[in-house]
Amino acid sequence: AAAGGRSFSFKVVLLGEGCVGKTSLVLRYCENKFNDKHITTLQASFLTKKLNIGGKRVNLAIWDTAGQERFHALGPIYYRDSNGAILVYDITDEDSFQKVKNWVKELRKMLGNEICLCIVGNKIDLEKERHVSVQEAEMYAESVGAKHYHTSAKQNKGIEELFLDLCKRMIETAQVDERARGNGSSQSGIARRGVQIIDDEPQAQSSGGCCSSG
Amino acid sequence: FCRVDPYGFERPEDFDYASYEAFFSRYLVVLTRRAIKWSKLLKGKNNIQKSLKGELLRKGEEHCQLLWLSVRGALLGHIQTAGSSGLWPTRTAEGRTEGVKCVVILPQNMNRTFPDNVKFRKTADPCLQHTLYNVLVAYGHHNKAVGYCQGMNFIAGYLILITKNEEESFWLLDALIGRILPDYYSPAMLGLKTDQEVLGELVKMKVPAVAELMERHGVMWTLVVSRWFICLFIDILPVETVLRIWDCLFYEGSKIIFRVALTLIKQNQAFILEATNFPDICDKFKQITKGTFVTECHSFMQKIFTDPGSLSMATINKLRETCREKLLSQG
Repeated sequence: AAAGGRSFSFKVVLLGEGCVGKTSLVLRYCENKFNDKHITTLQASFLTKKLNIGGKRVNLAIWDTAGQERFHALGPIYYRDSNGAILVYDITDEDSFQKVKNWVKELRKMLGNEICLCIVGNKIDLEKERHVSVQEAEMYAESVGAKHYHTSAKQNKGIEELFLDLCKRMIETAQVDERARGNGSSQSGIARRGVQIIDDEPQAQSSGGCCSSG
Repeated sequence: FCRVDPYGFERPEDFDYASYEAFFSRYLVVLTRRAIKWSKLLKGKNNIQKSLKGELLRKGEEHCQLLWLSVRGALLGHIQTAGSSGLWPTRTAEGRTEGVKCVVILPQNMNRTFPDNVKFRKTADPCLQHTLYNVLVAYGHHNKAVGYCQGMNFIAGYLILITKNEEESFWLLDALIGRILPDYYSPAMLGLKTDQEVLGELVKMKVPAVAELMERHGVMWTLVVSRWFICLFIDILPVETVLRIWDCLFYEGSKIIFRVALTLIKQNQAFILEATNFPDICDKFKQITKGTFVTECHSFMQKIFTDPGSLSMATINKLRETCREKLLSQG
């Protein structure tokens, strides 16, 4: 447990076209709720989630955003300082996958390679109406250094895995980052892009040893 | 009181029927008294003195419909003198949607407009989704620069619930978007961005401790208030309160939005200042739109004209100008 005992704070942003299920993914993950009749998201909001991954405590702030393109005019404030981005498309909607590609370009341009990108095909419960090929989506993700996931917020599929995997990657990035800036500095405080790595007392492992929400 | 309110909205599970009933029985007296005054006034034909009418609206005489009809009258006059045909555009558009910005997202937005309202259900008869769709498509043709922007669905939806008339809803929507609100919904959303900053400046002047808190924690105004502007308080404040605000909005213009926002912030200053971090602050801004203070719409409307103190259109225009320039220079 000596290697653990640290806590990380990460900001994750959900982006993607309207109606692909961004809000549903966050609600399912943070509150284990699903509501197929919720209203259009117009104002960004965020929910938080605490995890314990192998003794490392992670505080996630997950930002949900409005999908309609013109709301992007309200600024890049939502993804600025993000450690991870979840780019969501609807597997039944080819256009929404094209929008993901635009987001990849914009994020890479604005934030470089530091941000952990996830591309998420949501609504796999509607597999019969699929319009985006699995192979194409996975190949595209690989080509831009993103990881691809398949989820259904409705059936609660793939969502825990998505966030857990993303957290592990963000921890890794943060640690690489920290090492690059000199091993000795244990009090890293606020690292670049707002990652906070704070040494603290080793914590008793939770029984599962994996992650626990709070 | 039943599970569904008079406008068709389902009441939440935890709805406090007892205190709502207490409020409503008091409010009914106010409404009745004012309705009598209004009917006298409207019988006086066209010679309603402007100042007197404004005064009555503030007091909420004429709850909604009558008032809006008279506003619409003025509006139709305005449209005709402006040389527009004044034709109800669905007739000319024949339901065509090509060439209308963003109209493709309209169908999927229908189920996401007031899912908690029984009249907007797909299964409702008549189903207001059709009316809503017609109004928004027609508006997209009418105002090509704006097309369709999310948020307009809620506003049009409210207008339909109140007027129960497609064409009137269209003209009132046009009055709001084309005349009363400054450029909130066009693709660049410059008017909205500007007004959020203007509110920030007004808070600096009138409730400086809150402005200082926001700045200290790096909370941008857009994160907590953009929906106040985009939806004109729909789904944020109780229906009755929103309607009273809209009464004044149609008559006195967009500065009413600032009065409401400032009142909410000022009244809850101590509560907001309890926040010690970023998430806390966002949460407080959600909390202040709930509770007795906002449900008691009659006293709330009195407060918005006294609490924030003087607020001249000249001040707002000046702030709008400087904020807009600042935004444009930031690119």
